[in-house]
This record gives sequence, structure tokens and C-alpha cells, in this order.
Amino acid sequence: MITAVEATELIKVFGNIKALDGLNLKINAGEIFGIIGPNGAGKTTCLRVISTLLLPTSGSVKVFGLDVAADAAEVRKIITYLPEEAGAYRNLSGWEYLQFMASFGARNKEEKRVAVQEAAEICGLGDRLRDKVKTYSKGMKRRLLIARALMPKPRLAILDEPTGGLDVLHSYHIRGIIKRYAKDRGATVLLSSHNMLEVEHLCDRVALVNKGKVVAEGKPVELRDRYGSVNLEDVFAKVVGLA
Amino acid sequence: MLKGFGTVLAKELRELVRDPKILLGMIIVPLIMFPVLGSIMNFSIQSAAEQAKKASALVIDRDGGVYAIAFMESLKANGVKTYNLTNVNPEEAVNSGLLSEYNTTQIIEIPNGFSENISRHLAGETNVTTYVKLYSVFSGSGIVEDVGSSLIDLLVERLNRQYAPDIMGTRKASIIKGQIYENVDPRTLSGLMISQAIAMPITIMILLTYSMQIAATSVAMEKEEKTLETLLTLPMDRFAILMGKLSGSILVAGIGALAYMVGFNYYMGSFASFSAVSGLDLASVGLAPSLLGYLLLGISLFVTLLSALALAVILSAFAEDVRSAQSMVGYIYPFLFVPSLALMYVDINMLPLAARIALYAIPYTHPIIASKSVTMGDNLTAALGIVYVAVFTLVIMYVASRLFATEKILTIKLKFKGFRKREKSVAAE
Repeated sequence: MITAVEATELIKVFGNIKALDGLNLKINAGEIFGIIGPNGAGKTTCLRVISTLLLPTSGSVKVFGLDVAADAAEVRKIITYLPEEAGAYRNLSGWEYLQFMASFGARNKEEKRVAVQEAAEICGLGDRLRDKVKTYSKGMKRRLLIARALMPKPRLAILDEPTGGLDVLHSYHIRGIIKRYAKDRGATVLLSSHNMLEVEHLCDRVALVNKGKVVAEGKPVELRDRYGSVNLEDVFAKVVGLA
Repeated sequence: MLKGFGTVLAKELRELVRDPKILLGMIIVPLIMFPVLGSIMNFSIQSAAEQAKKASALVIDRDGGVYAIAFMESLKANGVKTYNLTNVNPEEAVNSGLLSEYNTTQIIEIPNGFSENISRHLAGETNVTTYVKLYSVFSGSGIVEDVGSSLIDLLVERLNRQYAPDIMGTRKASIIKGQIYENVDPRTLSGLMISQAIAMPITIMILLTYSMQIAATSVAMEKEEKTLETLLTLPMDRFAILMGKLSGSILVAGIGALAYMVGFNYYMGSFASFSAVSGLDLASVGLAPSLLGYLLLGISLFVTLLSALALAVILSAFAEDVRSAQSMVGYIYPFLFVPSLALMYVDINMLPLAARIALYAIPYTHPIIASKSVTMGDNLTAALGIVYVAVFTLVIMYVASRLFATEKILTIKLKFKGFRKREKSVAAE
């Protein structure tokens, strides 16, 4: 099996704060992998290192065999990253935003046109794509951004809290998009969430992160069985000693 | 009283006063800026007064009569050091380098018949008058040029009061770039030049403040909306992001500057009537930049704009949002306003060495200096300014490109904000 992401003894320090403290992670190609944990656990820092935004203080991260520090430019060609609570350019229309973002990956006009068309179908915003982004609701904006992240057909899509702060309908829609995309394309999706119940239904495997370390890892059902819990929330509480 | 007004006002004041950016930008900076500006203006006025005390002139006495001698005595009594010349006309004095030989910038010519005309006037022929003629070197240095012209006017007025009203008048000529222009009062010229020279500092101030705000806002907006994070993970050269942002800001600022200059042109039209009255325009007396001068001025303005934008981009990297970025850019404004306002009326060469060095060190000073120097035909000063600003810009661009090339563009605010905030920011993810 091909390894999509491999993090080894990953440490990231900001001043005197250790945001990641020897994190180890292995994600297989083609799976939807969830990193879950409370606020401040190190989820976003981990995703930012994998997406080449931050350099590891020590340890290493490889994406399909490419080192995120040494081969950052090559890594950026095969990944997309969706930051938590990201916005789009307010004064562009949804359509214009997708065209702008498609320009970076497409090799010619036809590729760009096809990519934008696919993204339009993924987000399902219809005629609203002609409207300026500043008129979108939070859920519509997130759907546009998810479509943007999947549009270049990345080998690895990194999504930070893809449904964070959204209502049930938009969350449901976005989960559907992610599931369909991974299944149809055989692509790898790495996402973070502090909504453990959501991740349980969406992810093939999960890693529970606390204080910059992976404290448990496996398929949701395996983890539930291992800790004799009814859901991942219980598993987490037991792992960190809350229950 | 509106219900709740006091509570909202108290909260608002507390929040604003506790914001160090507002405290620094709106209170501390003006408190420092205006005294600095006042000192510069004060010094220039003092040095003009000093110049007046050290005034000297070459005197060509074609009359040799009693009143000519009295006039020269009057000059000496008023502190003007005089050097008497015979058998020389003003053109020869200028061309043979006598002015620099005697280290003076004024020639006073007392015409033949000066004493006789005064005597006739005093004898009852009140329609007979006379004059003294002042030739003054115009070097574009503002207040200094007024000194000689004003002194002669003052002396003639005193003598008129002593002998008879309107017995004596003055005629003036300017020596510009070694050429004598008859009937051109250096004081009028100086006034006209100052009125036109105001255009460049105002242009610089408006152009740079607008464009720096645009550049800082564009980066801060990307950070605020987290679109920068997305851009930084795209398969593109990060330097392209920086250059794209700078170029966009330059284009928008350029269009703004063009619109501004069109409007300002109408404003400057009001000075045309002044020119008509004095019968003088600067270009006709050689006080207009050459084609090379215009080119140097354009380059100077461009490199200065680029350096300001790059600096705004760097500063905005420290900001978390648009409001903070705009406040931070405000820290640069004193460096923009002080030279612009000071150099509207003061020649930089009149300032003490330390002030001169400080002003030359500020890149935004150089287009203002260049506008004056190219008008006076001194292209070298403009070119040297361009070299300095270009080097400054390269350093700033390098720092900006390093910021964009590394994680610092995202993390620098954490370090800037201090340890306690840093903890919070990291923990907040």
C-alpha cells in the first residue's frame, strides 16, 4: 500500500511553546483520514506543516515520498489546503474566484474550463456563482472553498475543519462532497475536526491528538472496541483520562 | 441624555486608549512630528537672518558722486560688506567669476547720473528720479533669495524718507545659471518657484499615503480572510505573490496619482494669473527641467513609490487584520510628512549637517529634492538620490521577499505581539 503522508517524531516549537511534541502519523493513499482533538491540541499546526506553510522544528514529514521542507515546491503541486474559517476574495464572483484558482493548476484554457465546470458542479451553487462572494452565507462560502480545494484533483486534499461552524444542511452537503470525491477519484483526504461524531461517520481512519501528540490511532470502530466506548468522544475522554 | 450613551462612550474610550497602535499613531507621533517640523522651520528662518547679517555685494559705482558714496555708506551701516569695482559691467562680473571670487551672490549697480538726479529732484525738479540696480544670483534656495532683494528695497525706502518721497527706485535682475535676466526680481522668482514647488511634496504625500494604505490593506485582507494561507500553498513562486501585490498597488496608485494631478493642475492654474502679473514664467528664464531631468524625476518618484509599498507590505505582515495594518503604516507617515512639509519652503542646504543627514536618509525626501535640483539643472543630485533610494528599495524588497518565502509571513505577528499573546495565538489553533 502506498503511503500518502508519513510524519516522524514531528516537533514544532513557537517560542517556548511546543505545539507539536513528537507526533507520528502514517496515512495510506486513498483513505479519508481524520485528525481529531480539542482546541489547542496541535491539529492545525500539524496540517500547516504537512501543507508546507510551516517548517518542522525537528522530525520529518513526507507527502508521497516528498519531504515538506526540502521539496516544498514539489509537494505544493500534488496537494491542496483549505484553512479553517478561510474566506474567498469578497469582490470576485464565485465563478471568477474558481477561474482565478484554476489558473494555477491548469496547463491550458480547456483544462481550466473543465476544472471550473467540475468545481461548479461540486459546490452546487448554481446561478449564485455569478454573485459576488461577499453576498454568500457562511455555508455557501465553505462549499465554494471545498470545491476549490478539490478542483485541481490533488493527490492529497488537506481540509482544516471543513464543516466548522456550519449548520446541519451545509455540513451534510460538504460531507457528501468529500466522500464522493475520495471514492470517485481514489484521492487521499486529510481533515481535522473537533467534532468527533462527524469524523466517526466520514473517516476511514482517525488519529486522536492531544498536547501535540497522537494518543490513539485506528479505524473508528476499532477504537470504540479497544476502549469499550460507544463513540469517539468517549474514546478520547478515556485516552486523556477525563473519564 | 440618550439612554446607554455614557456606557458605550466609556467602553469606546477605554478600548481606543488601550490600543497601543492608536496611542502611538494618533497621540505620540503628532506630539513629536510637529515640534520637529517647527524646529526645522525655525532654524531655516534663523539661518536666513544669519545670512542677512553676513550679506555682501559687489558694487559697481558708475556715478562716483556724493549721493552714491552716501548710498554705499548706508549699505555698510546696515551690515552689507561691499567690494567696489571699477570699469566692469555686470555681465563681465558674472562671466569672469568675480562673484565666486568675492564669495557673494549680489551685484549692486549705481548708474551714472545718480547723484545729479537726486540733486535736481531736491532742487525742485520732482519729475527727475533715479534708481539702483540689483543683480542677484538665483539658486532656488527660497528664503535666502529674498534677503538681498528685501534689503535693497528697505534701504531705498529709508533714503526716500530721508531725502524725498519717490526720489529713488530699484531695478532688479536675476542671474540664473550664469545668465542675466533683466527685470526679473529674484524675490518674485522665488515666490513663483515655491508656489510651484509645493506640487511635488503634496503629490508625494498623497500618492504615498494612498498607495501604502492600498498595499498594506491588500496583504492584511489576505491574512484576515486567510486567503494568504491558500495562496502560499499553491504551486506558484511566492515572489510572484509579492510582486503581484506591489504591481497592483502601483497601478492603482498611479491611476489615483494621475486623477490627482489632473485636479491639481486646475489648482495650479490659479498661479497663472500670478505669472501674468509678474510677466514671468519659470521656463522662459531656464527654470524648467530638461528631458533628462523629467526622466530622472519620474524614476525617482517610481523607486520611492516602490520602496514605500514594499515597506508597507512588510509592516502589514506584522498585522493581524486590516485595521492594525493601517495603524502600522501610520508609523511611516511622520517620515513622509516632515520632509514634505519642511522642504516646501526650506532649502535642505540651509539646514545643519545632522538635520541634512537625517532628511537625506529618509527615502521620501529624494523626489522632492530631485524636483528642485532638476529645475535648477542639477541632474547629478537627482541621480545620486535615485541610487540611494534604489539601494534602500532593494534591501526592503529582499526583506519582503524573505518574509514571503518563509513561514514568517504567517508567524511574525506572534513574535511581534510578545510572549503572552504568542501563547494565546498558538493555543488558539
